Amino acid sequence: MDRFNKSVLYIVVSMMLCVGQFVRTQEGGEGVLPEASVFTEPKTQTWFNTYGNIRISKRFFWDAQTHFRFAETKETPYIGQLAQIYNRHAIGYIYSKKINFSLGGVLRVNFNTNEDSMDRNVVPEWRIWHQYQFAQPLFTAMIYHRLRIEHRWTQSFAENSAFIFRNRWRYMFRAKVPLNNHKLEPNTLYISPEAELIMQSGKAVVGSVMEDLRLTTTLGYIVAPRLTVAGGLMYSQGQTLDNAGIFNQKWTLRFHVYFSPDFRKVRNKLPAIHLND
Amino acid sequence: MHYFTRTNAFRVALVLLCTQMYSVYGQEQQTYSGPYQLGTYKGEANFSYFLDTQDTILQGNFKMQRSSLDALLGKEDNSFLFSGAFENDYPTGTWKFEFGEFQSDKQTQVVDYQYRVLVSGVQEEAKGRIVKGKPDGPWTYMVNKIADSEIEETLFKSSMLFNKGIPQQSFEIENTGNTLVGRFLRDGLAHDEWSLFSSEEIGTSESWIFKEGVLQRIRIEKEGEWTDIRFAGNDTNTTKTVNLDAAYLKTLHFLQTNTETVDLAKSAMEPMLAENTNYYKKLDTILSQLGKASFLPEFKVNVPYYPLDSLENRQLEQVSEQFKIATEISDFFLNSSQLGILKLSDAEANRLYGAVKALSETYLEPLGDLIRLKEEGIYEYAARQQIFLRLFPEVPSKELIINPTDGVAPAEPFVLPNADAYDFNGTSLNTVQQISSYALESLKTVEPLLSKKLSINKQELELRLLEEQLIAENQTLQHLLDTVLPSLPNMHVAALEHIKTVTDAKLGAFSTAEDVESARELLECYQATNKLANTIAQLPSKSMEIREKYTDRIWNPFMANLMDEEVKKRITSAYRKILIPYYLEMVQEKVDCITISALDELIGATTAKILDLRDQDTHKLERKLKRAKDPLAVLKLLDVPTLVNDNQ
Repeated sequence: MDRFNKSVLYIVVSMMLCVGQFVRTQEGGEGVLPEASVFTEPKTQTWFNTYGNIRISKRFFWDAQTHFRFAETKETPYIGQLAQIYNRHAIGYIYSKKINFSLGGVLRVNFNTNEDSMDRNVVPEWRIWHQYQFAQPLFTAMIYHRLRIEHRWTQSFAENSAFIFRNRWRYMFRAKVPLNNHKLEPNTLYISPEAELIMQSGKAVVGSVMEDLRLTTTLGYIVAPRLTVAGGLMYSQGQTLDNAGIFNQKWTLRFHVYFSPDFRKVRNKLPAIHLND
Repeated sequence: MHYFTRTNAFRVALVLLCTQMYSVYGQEQQTYSGPYQLGTYKGEANFSYFLDTQDTILQGNFKMQRSSLDALLGKEDNSFLFSGAFENDYPTGTWKFEFGEFQSDKQTQVVDYQYRVLVSGVQEEAKGRIVKGKPDGPWTYMVNKIADSEIEETLFKSSMLFNKGIPQQSFEIENTGNTLVGRFLRDGLAHDEWSLFSSEEIGTSESWIFKEGVLQRIRIEKEGEWTDIRFAGNDTNTTKTVNLDAAYLKTLHFLQTNTETVDLAKSAMEPMLAENTNYYKKLDTILSQLGKASFLPEFKVNVPYYPLDSLENRQLEQVSEQFKIATEISDFFLNSSQLGILKLSDAEANRLYGAVKALSETYLEPLGDLIRLKEEGIYEYAARQQIFLRLFPEVPSKELIINPTDGVAPAEPFVLPNADAYDFNGTSLNTVQQISSYALESLKTVEPLLSKKLSINKQELELRLLEEQLIAENQTLQHLLDTVLPSLPNMHVAALEHIKTVTDAKLGAFSTAEDVESARELLECYQATNKLANTIAQLPSKSMEIREKYTDRIWNPFMANLMDEEVKKRITSAYRKILIPYYLEMVQEKVDCITISALDELIGATTAKILDLRDQDTHKLERKLKRAKDPLAVLKLLDVPTLVNDNQ
């Protein structure tokens, strides 16, 4: 089994390195750099995210995420209007209790929230993504490193606009610190600070390599072993694609539901917790 | 540690047989090396064997040994070594046996890159050749006293010459003070004069004189005087050839005619012969457990022989049966502590007790000796008359004088009314049978009289015993309550306190009307109550056990850790929230002596059922439990019987 695990690890790491080189690239726009970096007025957003982790077999799971993201508009400040619906899916592989990998696709549906725009109201965005997650216990807390690589094809709302291709390189560091318990278990409140840096590359990306830097603090509650809820606030900033000198800023309220059902028969479930021991 | 026995050897070999095709052709020699047990000997063995259908046949070299440095340095080590060879399961070739009992002074020294520990103790060593499982050629058995790893003194040494297991020519046995020299005829029969030389005196100090295997007399020298030990029957024509073994030596004791002048126990030769026989027996035990050996050397002697005919055999059997019954009766009364007390105050009981004692001493003890002679195989080596007179030197009297005991005045003698029907004259087995019948009949007459006396007293005694038990049970309950109440939930406490109230009331009611029957009933009730109280006290820990059993460790992908998940919650919550409160309520409402056991069993059955359901498919049950709120309905769903009176 160990050997199998190792080979899977090698395969996914090589995929991680190679996939980017074979994808189609597209031309992107270019702006005139200001003399000093410009930080736009922060916008507010609200995200309602669901994270499903559905066990398929001893080592595989179905990663099913649906996010509803609202962005403020002139008419609807704060919560805003529905801007994107994410459908992020993947097949995950449990390498060990602390390490897992995922590979899948994203269909993001973008809604035009610009009330003055005469362009299309809805456009799709496609992604292939793969992710490598590592967890470590640290005293009573857990810390997590997440590497996520996305290959995305986006288009603007303008009629007949072409897809542009970009790669996204994301690293996220997160901790979960139990507040009313000595470990993360049901009926535990935890606080989770996290920082994620999202870099991008591609022909369309000229100078604007830092797409987003996200700093978040979340308060979560483990309702049951298979259900957790959390809510938090995120500050983010990143270079606009058009002009590397201009930085967008956002404040985002995030609400999450994490669920992990296991519909397998009891007898199949039993050995699942002991992966390598 | 698993020791390799012959059966295991077979199993191991069978597996090999099944997995290795060439073994199918049989007789493939295999070797074993590892732990092995041989009777009481446990050690490491190396040997070769092959399989013949179902049997392990030893073939080739054999070695088994044990020694432990740890044991030696600790207190004492018992070491052994057996080495030799087998041929077709028969011990064959040169064999060596060593048995050691060593202590050490715990001092070590290094000599030539080896650690040396000096030992002291006793080492037994036997060497010789074996042919087809029988000793052949010269054999020696030595017992040496070892001091600081040197032989300090030879405690015992026997040298014998065998031909196919039969001792030949002369032999020599030495111990610390004496040397015994003897001769055998070609067929192994003891012959001529066996002489004992004492190392302290010059010349012979004891002689056994055999004639064609029959021991004629033993001459023992004591301070220059010679005394003869004579034996009965040495002039008889009918003899039987037997082994010179422990039974023979015992026979000699019995056959000796002039015990009053000198005792065979004074013989110095007898223990030497016995010791030698024991050593050879030890080797035989080892060898016969291994293969087809009949190692025990055949030192043969002839003894006078008076075979039993079929009638006599039957008579002896009858005597033996009667003796058994009679002894049971007499032992019962003689060992009865109650009778021991009763006879102090009751003259009649005292007389009857005395009669039993006299019967036992006068008749049963000699009869027991006679039966032992038969069991030991000595009976046929002595004349009937001699045996009878040895057991009953005088004709036993039918009228038994009862000796006054414990200061009570002598009672009139005990005699059976129909004593005349028994004929005690003569020395044959007939007479023996008459005596044993009389003894049994007498005891059977005494038995009902004494039993009656005892049983009146028994009732009082029983009541006292029952009361003591009741008090003990009551204290057990009180102790349980004192221990568990502080840590139990309120409902449990109320149930236990109720139980205590009920039993206290019952005990109060009993004390006003004391009788054995109600005491017995109350004791049963108390025992059942205490059992239930224990069950209730253990309910929280049972709940915990159920909770643990219904908990899975599952992997949480978001936290990347393991968490406890309680599964089949409907079942566990029905147990915790419906059934336990129901039972505790039942205890308070319906507990009485009749239902208490049933309730206890019901609680036990429910717990067992819940534990059992964990591993079963319970989808339907869980769905039904969702709606069930009534405890009886829940019990029905769980298929646990309810108390009968619940239907009312």
